[in-house]
Amino acid sequence: MPLEYSITYSAENHYENLVENAIWQFLIIPEDSDNQSVKDVKFNNSLDSPVSYSENSQGFRTIRVTPGQPFKDISFTASFKLVKEQVNPFDFIPPQDPEKDYSTLESLEFRVDHDSYLRPTSYTTLPINSEPGFQWNREQDIFTNIQELNSWVYEYIKFTPGVTTVETTLEELFKHRKGVCQDFTHLFLALVRKHRIPARYVSGYLHQGSGYFGDSQMHAWAEVYIPRVGWVGFDPTNNLLVGSNHIKVAHGRDYSECSPLTGVLYTLGENRTSHAVQVACQQ
Amino acid sequence: MITQTNPIFSCYEYNDGLYDEVFNAQGETKELYETLFKLYCGHSIEDYMQLNNKAKSSFFNQGITFQVYGEKETKEKIFPFDLFPRIIGAKEWDHIESGALQRSRALNLFLWDIYHDKKILKDGIVPMDLIGSSANYLQAMIGVDPPGGIYNHVSGTDIIKHSDGEYYVLEDNIRCPSGVSYVVCNRTALKRALFGVFNHYRAHTVTNYAENLLEILQSVKPKGIDFPTCVVITPGMYNSAYYEHSYLAKAMGVELVEGRDLYVENDFVYMKTISGPQKVDVIYRRVDDLFMDPLEFRADSTLGVPGIFAAYRKGNVCLANAPGTGVADDKAVYTYMPQIIKYYLDEEPILNNVHTYHCSRPEELKYVLEHISELVVKPVDESGGYGISIGNKLTKEQIAEVREKIKKEPRKYIAQPIMSLSVHPTYIDESQSFEQRHVDLRTFTLLGDKKDFVLKGGLSRVALQKGNLVVNSSQGGGSKDTWVLKDN
Amino acid sequence: MLARVANNLYWMGRYIERSEHVARYMHVNYFSSLDAPNELSQDRQFVLRSMKFMVGDPANDPDEILDEIEVLHDLGLNSEKGFSIINNVKSTRENANSARDLISTELYEAINKFYHFVLNYDQDLYVKRGLYDFCVNITEMTTILRGKIRATLLHDEVYAIIMMGMNLERATQIIRIINAKYNDALLARNGYDQDVGKSFEWITLLKCAESYDMMRRFYKKSPSSLSTLEFLILNGSCPRSVMNSLDQVSKHIHVLEKSKNPSKDSAAFFIEKVRAELKFKHIEEIEGNIRDFIETKLNDLVLIADKLEKEFFNY
Repeated sequence: MPLEYSITYSAENHYENLVENAIWQFLIIPEDSDNQSVKDVKFNNSLDSPVSYSENSQGFRTIRVTPGQPFKDISFTASFKLVKEQVNPFDFIPPQDPEKDYSTLESLEFRVDHDSYLRPTSYTTLPINSEPGFQWNREQDIFTNIQELNSWVYEYIKFTPGVTTVETTLEELFKHRKGVCQDFTHLFLALVRKHRIPARYVSGYLHQGSGYFGDSQMHAWAEVYIPRVGWVGFDPTNNLLVGSNHIKVAHGRDYSECSPLTGVLYTLGENRTSHAVQVACQQ
Repeated sequence: MITQTNPIFSCYEYNDGLYDEVFNAQGETKELYETLFKLYCGHSIEDYMQLNNKAKSSFFNQGITFQVYGEKETKEKIFPFDLFPRIIGAKEWDHIESGALQRSRALNLFLWDIYHDKKILKDGIVPMDLIGSSANYLQAMIGVDPPGGIYNHVSGTDIIKHSDGEYYVLEDNIRCPSGVSYVVCNRTALKRALFGVFNHYRAHTVTNYAENLLEILQSVKPKGIDFPTCVVITPGMYNSAYYEHSYLAKAMGVELVEGRDLYVENDFVYMKTISGPQKVDVIYRRVDDLFMDPLEFRADSTLGVPGIFAAYRKGNVCLANAPGTGVADDKAVYTYMPQIIKYYLDEEPILNNVHTYHCSRPEELKYVLEHISELVVKPVDESGGYGISIGNKLTKEQIAEVREKIKKEPRKYIAQPIMSLSVHPTYIDESQSFEQRHVDLRTFTLLGDKKDFVLKGGLSRVALQKGNLVVNSSQGGGSKDTWVLKDN
Repeated sequence: MLARVANNLYWMGRYIERSEHVARYMHVNYFSSLDAPNELSQDRQFVLRSMKFMVGDPANDPDEILDEIEVLHDLGLNSEKGFSIINNVKSTRENANSARDLISTELYEAINKFYHFVLNYDQDLYVKRGLYDFCVNITEMTTILRGKIRATLLHDEVYAIIMMGMNLERATQIIRIINAKYNDALLARNGYDQDVGKSFEWITLLKCAESYDMMRRFYKKSPSSLSTLEFLILNGSCPRSVMNSLDQVSKHIHVLEKSKNPSKDSAAFFIEKVRAELKFKHIEEIEGNIRDFIETKLNDLVLIADKLEKEFFNY
């Protein structure tokens, strides 16, 4: 039985000084995929500025806004309607011969094909000499190990909003072990990649019905490429496998390629931005 | 030391260890230069000085200058120019031309491959890590098809003549190679000053560069466009190469735009003109790729056009050179050029690469450790000249240190023989006479859709400091007009 | 053509014209004062004040004793003063640089020579005995620039925009000069010459606009306030007159304005309106109320410039 979701995203920006020239790009439209289809996209802004649609370098849809007049305040509201198939995260044949998959990971062809998602980025670089303590069990298959890693990250960090920012590195995270979904995801990505397995950052919306973390903001999780299976989603913030409550928007190597809002504006002084997300589901 | 009797070359000193392009070891003029030498001997040194000053002021008045920033006022300086031209015979040139073209083609195929199927990486010819770890390998370019399949529309190849008389490539520049305007200016200045000498040689013109560049740009137009609007984009008039940008725009008869003159709407690019927006199809880019789109690359860039990369990705506009070409002109990629040429073209390289020893390979490591005093040792992952040791300038202790460094991390180092650039007689203001100075040659190659072009000529850069091997203009280098002779 | 570059060309034209008028005003006033018929006109302080008034930097304190070297330096070679000739020339070149791909090598070379001439002029020599040489060179070099513009550029949009800038600036400068000299004539009236209508300053005014000889030829008698103003404001065949400048602006805007019936808010429409007003003015109307006239005309010219900017140079 498919689920029908309606999502609203809103953002409000206030600037201390008049902004003469600006352009924003939003990466907030849910992707169209096998199990997810977008039925309606609405986007408004308080200045009635022209809106155009484009794609980012990974092919995910973006919304661009260019105000035609100077302003100090601007707000944006987007609403989406989509239909999502019920997903069973365990819906694949469990790998029989783990050794074969481990050797696939080592083949040059595999490593070249997945180079982008194997290489550490600035957000996913483990500090030198760090020993976070997760033990990989080579006797077990990759999927099982990653499930354990997912739980390990969930236990390792305490979900605490306001401690970290979008610029927080793993080095800082290790000091206080507190953070939000980006931080969980970045740590998870770093550790998966360390074990020579491709992994990518995913941004999207989480349906809040079950009281998960990360419901009033955009959410982040990870996808891991498991040989013979393909990309599998893991949500370390909630110690979950990604399922029907996760509505994907985009993926990239880390947060920097999935940032929901990129703005280029020419102004001095302070600014305040606030975002809010609501996800509702009708069955 | 042999002394000439003629005033103009009277103080010319020979250094036995150097390869002089004009005089042979006996001090006799080489055949190619005989006529020229006689003509120059007709001038007294005073005469020559006067011509030299005239040429300088002509550059100055034309505003062919670069800016030197001082505390109060910025000063303008001319790029030093030498009136004694360099001549390259037809046969020798054929060799250079076909070699430069071969390299550009191979690099283009290499770029297509590493941004698409990555065959050369999967076959292990070039290490994946070398490419993947490069800051110039743009993830955003993976899977993007540039119009016409061309990445390096313009390549500048730096070539030297070694003391063995052979040409070697030192570097391929395929980001935004500059200098071509000086080739044209040098020719103009020499024609003004010494028009008489041209009658005695049949040199190829260099002024056809711009028309060929325009044809190349038009050939890579987006699909469905018959008459593309081409523009040149510059960072602005304070950029040191602004003269070149404006020269090229003028010579091609196209607009010279800055980022703020363009905007993107629905993935098409427009320029703001006095009669409203006009669509732009092909952009010859003289702004670094990471500055081209603040929404995609460096958000702090004010030189770019927000959204232009998405327009490019859609194929609605062509950028030349393509973003992400920089990955292929890395020092480390250079060392794989012979293999790259062989892999894609199944040809032997026409121009020599400077031989490179990879310390990661045991037998080569052994050679390097034993010959450090004859080699230049470079770390593979540093740029801008950091960490380079030049063997013949090192003390015994330093050699031992370098040896230890290499032994510790052999993978990190490569080594090359010390190359000696040929010398060319160059007029030196301070001594008011001709002296031997090292020169190199930058050639300019254009690649388009079913069209290519190599400029018959180039920028011969001169290291004005005695004994200096660095020819860059930032290091006080000058240049010479370079004649490529027609076949007789 | 790019809107930004059009703006640069327009300002290049304006700065060339401005340099010329400031330079001529300086040397004509300075040298004609040396043997002026009345004491006040001969007074060095009077001349220096007039110069400062003309460039929009009036000395307001009547008791202040101005330093000649300082005033000459400020107007000529002081790069810290926005109105100085050196700054006008720098701006000319900077604007030309941005449009370098559109103008001819010959024009650029001439601008560049002009720039280097001013930049390298010996400051000491200039304030002590180089005033004439400096100013005459400036005015001659601007004439060369005008010649290069006319003879080496295509007479298309590029040319039209430069010419609009030049002519708009010329009209502005002529009005400013009239204003300054009218002011001088009023002040000088209290001295030797009681009749402002026959002031010596009118001759100087005509010389400042390089129009003295032709004015004599046209009227065949000594200039009076009436005939001078008529010649410099209303006479369409005097190349320096306000009328002639506006005729030129009008001619050139039609190269850019493609529609036959420009809207009532457009620059083209407004230019025609200002021009028509001037065409049907007679000099007695103006003479009685010269201050008002100057103010309205300067405002009109500013409004034209604003409209041009909005319509064509908006980038």
